[in-house]
Amino acid sequence: MKSIIAAAVLAALGTSVANAQDSFPDGPVTIIVPYGTGGSTDTTMRALAIELEKIWNQPIVIVNRPGAGSMIGTTELTQAEPDGKTLLINTAAITTAPALQSDLQFDPVNDITPISLLITSPYVLVGGANVQSTDFSGFMEEAQSRLMFMATAGPGSSGHFMSELVMQAADLPADIVHFGGAGESFTNLMGGHADTYISTTQSVMPYVNDGRAKALAVLAPERFPLLPDIQSSGEVGVAGVELEGWVAIFGPGGMDDALVDRINADLAEAMASERMQEQLEQNYALAGNLSPAEFGEIYVRDLQIWRDLAAERGIGQ
Amino acid sequence: MELLANLALGLETAITPWNLFYCFAGVFLGTFIGVIPGVGPLAAISMLFPITFYLDPTSALIMLAGIYYGTTYGGSTASILLNIPGATSAAVTCLDGYPMAQQGRAGVALFMTTIASFVGGSIGIIILSLFSPLIAEYALRFGPADYFALMVLGLVAASTITNASPSKGLSMVVLGMLIATVGIDSQSGAARYTFGSMSLLDGFGIAALAMGLFGVGEILTSVGATRDARIDSSSAKLRNMIPTREDWRRSWKPGLRGSAIGSFFGALPGTGPSIASFMAYAVERRVSSTPERFGNGAIEGVVAPESANNAADQTAFIPTLTLGIPGSATMALMLGALMVHGIQPGPTLISQQPSLFWGLVMSFWIGNLLLVVLNLPLIGLWVRLLLVPYHYLYPAILVFVCIGAYSVRANPADVLMVLGFGVLGYVMRLAALPAAPLLLGFVLGPLVETQFRRAMVLARGDFTAILERPLAGTVLALAALLLAWTLYVAGRDFRRKARDRRSSRSGLG
Repeated sequence: MKSIIAAAVLAALGTSVANAQDSFPDGPVTIIVPYGTGGSTDTTMRALAIELEKIWNQPIVIVNRPGAGSMIGTTELTQAEPDGKTLLINTAAITTAPALQSDLQFDPVNDITPISLLITSPYVLVGGANVQSTDFSGFMEEAQSRLMFMATAGPGSSGHFMSELVMQAADLPADIVHFGGAGESFTNLMGGHADTYISTTQSVMPYVNDGRAKALAVLAPERFPLLPDIQSSGEVGVAGVELEGWVAIFGPGGMDDALVDRINADLAEAMASERMQEQLEQNYALAGNLSPAEFGEIYVRDLQIWRDLAAERGIGQ
Repeated sequence: MELLANLALGLETAITPWNLFYCFAGVFLGTFIGVIPGVGPLAAISMLFPITFYLDPTSALIMLAGIYYGTTYGGSTASILLNIPGATSAAVTCLDGYPMAQQGRAGVALFMTTIASFVGGSIGIIILSLFSPLIAEYALRFGPADYFALMVLGLVAASTITNASPSKGLSMVVLGMLIATVGIDSQSGAARYTFGSMSLLDGFGIAALAMGLFGVGEILTSVGATRDARIDSSSAKLRNMIPTREDWRRSWKPGLRGSAIGSFFGALPGTGPSIASFMAYAVERRVSSTPERFGNGAIEGVVAPESANNAADQTAFIPTLTLGIPGSATMALMLGALMVHGIQPGPTLISQQPSLFWGLVMSFWIGNLLLVVLNLPLIGLWVRLLLVPYHYLYPAILVFVCIGAYSVRANPADVLMVLGFGVLGYVMRLAALPAAPLLLGFVLGPLVETQFRRAMVLARGDFTAILERPLAGTVLALAALLLAWTLYVAGRDFRRKARDRRSSRSGLG
């Protein structure tokens, strides 16, 4: 008798869940952008929203919640219902910032559901006006004669942690100097006040293309097919810096697996659209094609890598 | 000749009916957003940003820019009439604008701010069209050490902008700097004085502080005090809005100086219109032969900051368009509007997108002209606002202030912060402590701290390396001279007063 009731309950639950994901979304979907309006993540999201509205037939509401290295918007996501109608778009900063900010009001593993890896690209190390060399091997030599300053977009940013990682892996003599965002970092690179900056292709290539900064290396084992002229860190013999930069969609913790799969599939469809493909091409980036579980592994792994690095190098202490 | 051809190309772009329409829509919206206390250009442009996806990039930029500089025109209206800054860069206009209104000269003040804004804007546009690449190149030379030196000079120059005693002024500057330390530390990422609150992680907002101190403080003071309608209706007549020959004579030099100061600070990516208006005011007060008139309705104290903030608005486009570097969150939005169309602002923008750049420049002229045409007739309307008894007015003002505070970052805590700062402003009034130096400390404090710490990292902890930099060294030496001079003058005045007191006492005896 008991087992029949249990089966009935399960069946009922099963159908209601199935219904929930079939009818998803049954209302407007809010997507939190934890950065300012007009920034690169924001413009990616706005283009994506146009495509998602076509697929979901529901309005997408974009809310910008900038601040605290994306942690203000991310915290807001964790306080929402896990019904898929509140989502977050974020970069790898969602894995680096928790390594630095000890007083977060959420648990990055349990209170967040990684849904979909939208965009990936390698990180690129660029040099400013004071850097004489044009590639990584030359830069490594130059750094032996002159201590380098590595600019970051702020403490806890992905560029900050990547810079620390490069210093550690390449045994690079350098100091970190924090600026307020990518714009200010590039100003100081162009003015020759700081030497290097690390970010994704989307952020750095516009500056590289018109000569405002020099691309020294892609941080990958091998050259990046979309940018074959830039030396890779691997070919110079530097290993351990092969993390990729990405943009991804997250939900609040405890989302239903079927719903997560559904959203993942819809996002893949949106990314395959002409508009998004064009944007990827412009930004020298690739669409991510991972299942939620595969992406979840990368997310948890990266969180741990940055935590360990912060502890090892005494970042934020 | 090439310039003429470029300007012609720009005019051709700017004068198409649709671009004219977007220009008008932008400045019209901007003026009203500026007048409403609290709702600033950043909130307005953020709200309109999504439609730029559907517009031609030139039109989008013309409209967003129109909102931006239109706000600065309107921003002074509430400062003058209600002692509430409509925009942060208009806060310093309260100091002399409001006393002018109390003397029945609100119309004159509004008239002169419109003219000063136009002059400042025009000079900014001329510099933008003639020297953009040159200035952009020069602005890059400013490193953290140089910004630090410049901000120190600013603090020294502006620490005595009010008539309060230097000790009161200085302590308010320090209080402002302390309030600004709340939030994430710029170099270590540690949270300072946030007590675990998410709302405090990003620190206090400048808009919340300015509106609270000036606006809510003003309202709290007036509650209980019976205000009779001191402004008689005759001041709302057109005749009383026309500045006298004396007003013009006093204003033209401050207008030019303000424009120059504004153009300079606007073109530097690390500063902006708010700092420009404070500096312009401080300079006028220093060069004036009658500094005691400042704070009591001196027309120079209105003209200088208003020409400065409008000039800064225009020259702020120099680093944005020619280097691709936004100096402020608002400018980052302008960049975003271009980037969604695949246009990357940078050194090649002017040569690759001549119709966009020159079209925008020419639309600035048109926009500034439209603003004058729009604002002058409105003066009569605004002045009539003073005829409304204040107790009917302030509930509406409070509502707008709360909406404005919320609109900046959609954080309910900001509304509470405005009210908190309002109470602080009220207490400060009771103790006769000046609010402007506090705001100045709040604006300059974080810049001084952040840039100094960056400079020390870049100098590897060697302070003398900062002094050896030609720019920073010179500016710091200037600051030291100015400080020595200020102390000397203060000492001289103090001795003179003491002597006067002694002689008057002995005279009595």
